[in-house]
Amino acid sequence: MKAIIVKELKLMIKEKGNIFFLLIMPMLFMLMFGSLFNKGNDLSVEIHYVDQDHTALSQTFLKQLKKTDGIHLKNESSADLSSLINKIKKGQLASMLVINKGFEEAIKEGRQAQVKLYRDPAASSEVSAIEAVLKNIANGYREAKLAKSLTALGENKEQAVKTLTPPIQIQNINTTGEHIDYISQVVPGMTVMFIFYIMISMTKRFFKEKESGLLSRIQSTTMKPLPYLVGMWVPFVIAVIVQSIILLGFGHFVYHLKLGHLSALSMLIIGLSLCGTGVGLALSVLVRGENQGMAITQLIALAGAMVGGLWMPSYLLPFFIQNIGYFTPQYWALRGLQDIIVHGADVGDIWRSLAVLAAFGFAGLFVAVLRFPRFLKSATH
Amino acid sequence: MHQEEAILKVTGLKKAFGKKQALDGVAFSVKSGSSFGLLGPNGAGKSTTMKILTGIIKPDGGRVDLLGRDVSGQKDWVAKYVGYVPQDITLYEELSAYDNLLFFGQLYGVKGPELRRRIAEVLEQTGLTERANDAVKTFSGGMKRRINLGCALLHRPKVLVLDEPTVGIDPQSRNRIFEMIRDLNRQGVTIIYSTHYLEEVEALCDEVAIIDHGVVKAQGPLGVLLEKHGRKAIYIEAGGLNDAPDVPNVSRVTKEGAGWLLETEHPAVVMHVLLQKAAARRWDVKQIEIVRPSLENVFLSVTGTALRDE
Repeated sequence: MKAIIVKELKLMIKEKGNIFFLLIMPMLFMLMFGSLFNKGNDLSVEIHYVDQDHTALSQTFLKQLKKTDGIHLKNESSADLSSLINKIKKGQLASMLVINKGFEEAIKEGRQAQVKLYRDPAASSEVSAIEAVLKNIANGYREAKLAKSLTALGENKEQAVKTLTPPIQIQNINTTGEHIDYISQVVPGMTVMFIFYIMISMTKRFFKEKESGLLSRIQSTTMKPLPYLVGMWVPFVIAVIVQSIILLGFGHFVYHLKLGHLSALSMLIIGLSLCGTGVGLALSVLVRGENQGMAITQLIALAGAMVGGLWMPSYLLPFFIQNIGYFTPQYWALRGLQDIIVHGADVGDIWRSLAVLAAFGFAGLFVAVLRFPRFLKSATH
Repeated sequence: MHQEEAILKVTGLKKAFGKKQALDGVAFSVKSGSSFGLLGPNGAGKSTTMKILTGIIKPDGGRVDLLGRDVSGQKDWVAKYVGYVPQDITLYEELSAYDNLLFFGQLYGVKGPELRRRIAEVLEQTGLTERANDAVKTFSGGMKRRINLGCALLHRPKVLVLDEPTVGIDPQSRNRIFEMIRDLNRQGVTIIYSTHYLEEVEALCDEVAIIDHGVVKAQGPLGVLLEKHGRKAIYIEAGGLNDAPDVPNVSRVTKEGAGWLLETEHPAVVMHVLLQKAAARRWDVKQIEIVRPSLENVFLSVTGTALRDE
């Protein structure tokens, strides 16, 4: 068996197509999907502003804006205001904040200071965020003004704070450790999808072995059918483990994907490789030719990816598709990976995913062992 | 083991593939240390017989005895003593010659330093020591055939089964392989060589079985078969000999090229009469010779048909 394993590993290394199909292609997919959709996760908003006042208070106001998470300021004070407004009209700029001259003076005199927000109604989602931030800051100024008035009326500082405390407090509680961003969907999704493409390589190898007469010749040696089958299988298990490590590692280093508990991740990778190669082994000895194997692999990999939620989160799929997805190994593989990566799950938390993947893998092995004598017979005749 | 003892004995071998009866009671025996040729056209049942001898497929009926033991269910026993060279070049073309030899050596149960020593010896035998680390796909057809043969030698088999091992190679490479086979035979390895080329059997084998339609039609030492089934004849080519010569004891006279072929059971007598006639009738004799019986004649005689490719 060791001779078969070593030989297959040597052949695998020499087959450049494997590296492209199992590693380069999924990485390209990750890069493509990552660059297309990763911007959707960037919630930062850029505020273009013109400071006509140029005073200490106008600068303080801008500093307060800058302190807000996700807000970037861009000074346009040197540009012509009318040309900036034209940009908004043409849709080249979503909004423009203008701090009018006399801003500091108005505040000091207790009058209402003027800040103008020019806006493109078509960019309402972006402008709404800016509007909310500005209102928040304005509220802060109002509270400060109220506190000052209350103190002037005789309340001490503590009493003034108590008076101004809102009667309702809204608390945000995260139910999970991290949020699911697009990368946590794309990287595990593409990893799981391309792992199932190992079935094409497996079918090709088995048929090459059969059609070249090598399998027949091997039967004239002391090699027994079962060790041969296992010997052909193990290198593919190793290949998928390496493939998973490289693809998830790629996600980690390029997209800063968190990998969670490594023990759980290792177990899931092993389960996934057993599953993909177990099904691949069954397919290799069941199909009548390479082309049939390739077609069935496409069906398993693509249909499984679609209904298993590898392309888009399962909860976004129609209800009946979600139900079908529960019967695919891809769904359980992705769920396990996301539980580890996103929710920080440990080995005990992913037992259901592990059990389903192992069940698929061993079912494939069982079918392959049953069917192999027939495959062997067709090879020797 | 005594030279005359049968190292391999095949009796009543039957095998059908669907409705096609590939072997229909094949029987022959091979003496230890001999070079045995299994001659027959394509589809005669040679490869099926070879695969049964090497344990690759199981017969529907009959028996194979190797070294006095029934090989049924004795795959390891067969693999230990028999080396098999299939008709096709069955090598891993992307791997080096060394890696291919290493792989097959391990499958035959040879390990460690012994395997490394055997690989070096086989590379020497095949003349490929210098190319040991080159990928097989870079080899010529002849070189591939030699490594294909070499892969069956690593466990020092007592019997080497070769199924048409020279298909598609040039005469020079064929001679090189013949030399390897003769060397192995001289070292005591029993050769079982299947082919549909008469000249290969004549060049390599001292004993022959003729197989056609899944049945062995004749078997014996080459000389005996030629004597028994070969057509004896005198060929004469002479100026003035325009018509078929009328000579007693001749069974048939046929025109062959510029001369005449006279088939007879008494070639010496016929030649004597022809020479007397030539002197008397002043024929200008250009060529007169006893024609050596050929295996082609034997095949024709025992099967009733000429050796065909298909």
